[in-house]
Amino acid sequence: MPPTGATAERSLPLGEPQMSRPKSDDSSVLLVHAYLDGELDPANALSVAQQMGQEPALAAEAEHVRGLQNLIRDRLPIEEAPPGLRARIESRIGTTRQPRATPSWMHSWGALAASIAVAAVLASGSTWLVASSQQKPVQVAELLVSDHIRSLMAPEPVDVVSSDRHTVKPWFNGRIANSPRVVDLAKDDFPLVGGRVDVIGRTPVATLVYRRAKHLISLTAAPADDAFAIGGPNSINGYNIVRWTENGVAYWAVSDVEAKELETFAQLFRTSRNEL
Amino acid sequence: MSITPLRPRAGANSSDGPPVRLVTPGARNGAGMQDDNAIFRSVVMPHIDEAYRLARWLTANGTDAEDVVQDASLRAFRAIRSYAGGNPRAWLLSIVRNTAYSWLRKNRPATIVSVDDLEAVEREHAKPGENQDDTPEASLIAKVDAEQLRAAIAKLPAPFRETLVLRDIEGLDYREIAEATEVPIGTVMSRLARARRRLLEMLRQND
Repeated sequence: MPPTGATAERSLPLGEPQMSRPKSDDSSVLLVHAYLDGELDPANALSVAQQMGQEPALAAEAEHVRGLQNLIRDRLPIEEAPPGLRARIESRIGTTRQPRATPSWMHSWGALAASIAVAAVLASGSTWLVASSQQKPVQVAELLVSDHIRSLMAPEPVDVVSSDRHTVKPWFNGRIANSPRVVDLAKDDFPLVGGRVDVIGRTPVATLVYRRAKHLISLTAAPADDAFAIGGPNSINGYNIVRWTENGVAYWAVSDVEAKELETFAQLFRTSRNEL
Repeated sequence: MSITPLRPRAGANSSDGPPVRLVTPGARNGAGMQDDNAIFRSVVMPHIDEAYRLARWLTANGTDAEDVVQDASLRAFRAIRSYAGGNPRAWLLSIVRNTAYSWLRKNRPATIVSVDDLEAVEREHAKPGENQDDTPEASLIAKVDAEQLRAAIAKLPAPFRETLVLRDIEGLDYREIAEATEVPIGTVMSRLARARRRLLEMLRQND
């Protein structure tokens, strides 16, 4: 193996052919790579080609890169996705179509809840939803059930994962106009899982997620104004709903735990003083 | 010499681009779900092979890669309306990449290099004194087999590995790589140069 040229690096006067190897973050080196990758416009490509003709180190760099690219292209087998992966994806996506009982436009709102950025756009007044500013109670309930179902199918049911209310509450600051009341119910066997932002109509709302054994409870808090009128069904598609209003805030608890347990949860939440 | 033509495209993942536009045909006419499925089929499904290969390079395991691609597909479906009509492959691969790193953090925290560590890695590989070797590339090519090549790529630090994989295996251009890996084009360029040099060094050491 020939000796390395590192010691000579940079010691030659500028403009003279360099036999030593320029550093990898040297812009002339980056441009040689970009040249070989077809990323340069004609003027820059010409200039780099001329430079390579004058500087053997750059010409060598180009030869090495070409050799590597050929090696990868010729030797490395190109793998395809295993058979069945596409079918599994399609069947998983297909299931998110359920339940059929809800009108299709609701799902698109549920999908929005996946993204805080999107919620922010909605809040800022970008209009694309043709929605009445006033939600009927039954619509709010159905939207919240849809959000709950969707969250169960997602990799994570929450956007912020934490059993610590001191982490969850501040997370909502800046995302939601009014950070929700967050209480610790772990000693009552309703541990906090985390929080996420759901969207009802055009309004991002805070949803806390608690756990009961293997079931999740989504608790959504929103300003109790006309847009979030209280009322509506106590259960939709097997999901129980408990709602109440407190200090101008409307709460909806949605879960597949039994109605009685959900009532217990609501009662504990309302009376708990373990809050931030 | 400037490289002005190379500028990342403002897209769904660009923090300095215009606000994400949410207008899709379905959003206007209320046929939401049907269109979500149609968009998903045309944006995501054609790129499952690339998604799987990237996930496999990042997780180093076929089964894990399948899990990652399934989760990433679901995330893509949930976010399909934030897809702003940019490059579908780069958009999907950025989701796959983020899903893979979340998965690694959760399941194999030891393999994750933190941002601080990464800066150290980049400094390390930017140091002068990188070995020079004039072994003709022809003889290198004659010796290396597929398994040696695969193993050497797998040893690259993740940021270098993903950049090299996206360019030299998947054939993405710099702009797409910048979008998929959420870094500026300049970073793509320096990572790519370092990845290739480092890979060549490792292959030569196989001798």
